[in-house]
Amino acid sequence: MAAGYTPDLVERWFAVARTEEVVPRHVVQAQLLDQEIALWRDDAGAVNAWENRCPHRGVRLSIGLNTGTELRCQYHGWRYATGSGQCTYIPAHPTQKPAATMRVARFGITEAHGFVWVSLGTPAGPPQGPATGCEHATTLRSIYTEASAATIAACLLRGYRFALDPLGADESSPDAVVVAEDAYTLRAKSSHAGEREAAVTFFLQPMGASQTVIHGLLTTHGVAADRLAVLRHHHRQMTALRDAAESR
Amino acid sequence: MPRSLDDRETDMIKLYDFELSATCYTVRLMLSLLRIAFERIELDVYPGREHESPWFLAISPSGELPVMNDGGGVLTGVPAILEHLTGAYDPSGRWNPRDEPGVRHGIAQWLAVAGQLNATAGAARLHDTMFQAADIEACRAGAHRSFRALDEHLWFAEQSGHDWLCAAGHPTIADIACFPPVMLSEEGGISRLPYPAIRRWTDRVKRIPHFTPMSGIFNAAPLAAAPTSGRRTSA
Amino acid sequence: MDGGGRCVRDDACPAGRRVLRPPQVESLLWDDWHVVAEFEQLRRSGRFATALLDVPLTLELDPDSGTVLARAGDEPLASVRIKYGFVWVCLGEPSRDIVEFPECGDADRLLGTAGSVRVAVSGLRAVENFLDLSHLSFVHAGFLGEEPLTEVKPYSVESSPQGGVIATGCRVYQPKASPIAREGFDVDYTYAVLRPYIVVLYKANPVEQHRRDMIALFVQPVSAESCVAHLLTCYLEHGVEPAAVRRFQQFIFGQDRPILENQLPKRLPLTPAREIPVRADMASAAYRRWLTDAGIRYGAIPAAADPAA
Repeated sequence: MAAGYTPDLVERWFAVARTEEVVPRHVVQAQLLDQEIALWRDDAGAVNAWENRCPHRGVRLSIGLNTGTELRCQYHGWRYATGSGQCTYIPAHPTQKPAATMRVARFGITEAHGFVWVSLGTPAGPPQGPATGCEHATTLRSIYTEASAATIAACLLRGYRFALDPLGADESSPDAVVVAEDAYTLRAKSSHAGEREAAVTFFLQPMGASQTVIHGLLTTHGVAADRLAVLRHHHRQMTALRDAAESR
Repeated sequence: MPRSLDDRETDMIKLYDFELSATCYTVRLMLSLLRIAFERIELDVYPGREHESPWFLAISPSGELPVMNDGGGVLTGVPAILEHLTGAYDPSGRWNPRDEPGVRHGIAQWLAVAGQLNATAGAARLHDTMFQAADIEACRAGAHRSFRALDEHLWFAEQSGHDWLCAAGHPTIADIACFPPVMLSEEGGISRLPYPAIRRWTDRVKRIPHFTPMSGIFNAAPLAAAPTSGRRTSA
Repeated sequence: MDGGGRCVRDDACPAGRRVLRPPQVESLLWDDWHVVAEFEQLRRSGRFATALLDVPLTLELDPDSGTVLARAGDEPLASVRIKYGFVWVCLGEPSRDIVEFPECGDADRLLGTAGSVRVAVSGLRAVENFLDLSHLSFVHAGFLGEEPLTEVKPYSVESSPQGGVIATGCRVYQPKASPIAREGFDVDYTYAVLRPYIVVLYKANPVEQHRRDMIALFVQPVSAESCVAHLLTCYLEHGVEPAAVRRFQQFIFGQDRPILENQLPKRLPLTPAREIPVRADMASAAYRRWLTDAGIRYGAIPAAADPAA
């Protein structure tokens, strides 16, 4: 529950998943500020962020079924409509209209910059973007880390590396400065000679006090020739970051 | 569900089996996917420890399940049984392609991973459900290490347009062997929340035609009849 | 299988102790009997470690005398019994006897167990699941219920402080009500909650439909958020193969277990508004009220203490 978290954390957006991972007929199980969330996309493309708990008997909705228009709870088959979270059908009483009180708690949700963003409150504006002049953006693999966001930020601020070493030799020496925009948004900008400006914006998702998901958005001026090689390079950097944070 | 022994046909494959065993389920799943009828001989493994009884040890000296008897040949364990079933009963050759070296080697690696998953996540589950002795912290830690590697592999596979463990364009026995201990991991206290690529993959496995669940596994929601866009969906 | 409640400890060890009751466990639970193991399992292993109401227990069987020694930590327990094939223990001073099932004495019945199963949820949730009718056509689809026959018709519920909660007249269409059922039929169910952690169901036998098979669930509260489920089956003999009964119960419970372990919070909330019941949930709503009236807090989130209420 968000109880115990300050308003600045409740009333803001956090990235919780890459847009392309919230696939049809699937329920993503996510967690933000100790609140479990069932994240799902309906067949029309709209996304929902619901409390991961059926209001009937408390079963996780993330083990339920996304039918394309509803989430169906695995326990008693209760169905909840996309958007409103309203219960539309109770199989034990098939001819009765469910009461308006039968509704799943919903959280603020939006999509931007290749991510799905959730808020436990009601933020005023849209999520903060990468704020770079680059026209190409690629979301990197999100890294689940057993460490606090503060620990990860501290490790990140030591520096980051953009240059791919084709021989895979020394990938540990940083070649980019990292700047923190706030406790959960950091940016690494490449300054490597011969590289046009590229940046990775890191969005930290606090699952709880000591668990964080590191999301990354790579912005570049051109499209990389070998997309997979670029993804793998940044993946190596980010897992090294995870390992450093976890060993603290 | 158990079939009555009255229904026994002597030519049918016999599977010595226990409903709640993840490795036995691996074989039952493969049999279902290949549409093979079989006779299920269910042992009272828990709490009866029937797999330690003399009559079963005479068939399988290691006392391990699953054991299969196909026309007199006795096979023990998931890798041997899956190899045999796909060799004898898969005319398509897709489940265990023998003429694609890259896929063949991948399958061998993933069968080994499946063994590790059963030894870690599987052992944690048996400890947490049926009091089986285990170093539970070591099992869970080992399972999480394997799950991290598995999630990473599946994520990069998706980035390359693949939905399955091996880059074959279709599921293989690698997926079937790894699925049960992964799908049942939460029964051993191993959450799959940090492994979103694994969670997408388990949905895909559940949608393979002729998939069958076991006690403790639920079916997935079917996909829409037609794709809503040209973008590749994770099917 | 001992139906006589043989006492195995009191006279042999007058120094058998009682453990001091901690404040967070009410006397209603502390001074009552709980199943802690299947006797067969203890007999096979000779020694068995478990826990009850947060107290670690070790059980030992003396193979020569057949007596069971139960220790809470190092302290031998005074109250240990074997009944219906289970080892029962009381950590305090038993305020009443172990529950009685006269049916278990019927000559034409088979008693069976299904292997003790650990569940990472409050035992109160496990009891409530056992009472639940509307999950049968979903969690146990094709066996204890089937879509589209999901409607739960009205049934009767009575409760009393000493008598527990009794639900009668529950009717469910079941494609495969038991291992020997050859076709689907409307099954008549009666449930009775006899103790906070003990519930029994009676269902019409497929062959002699005016007599009833009995299944009792003894839930061992290991901690406030974990338990062990022990099942006792007491079926009429007709064509029943004991191994098939055991397999059937294991199969059914194996389907319930992941549901139970995915319930949040793990303790049973007793505030009515926290988890909204419908008419089909009359038995479980009565159970929750009965627990509140009895002052049960262990394994529950009492109404007064609920921050989310």
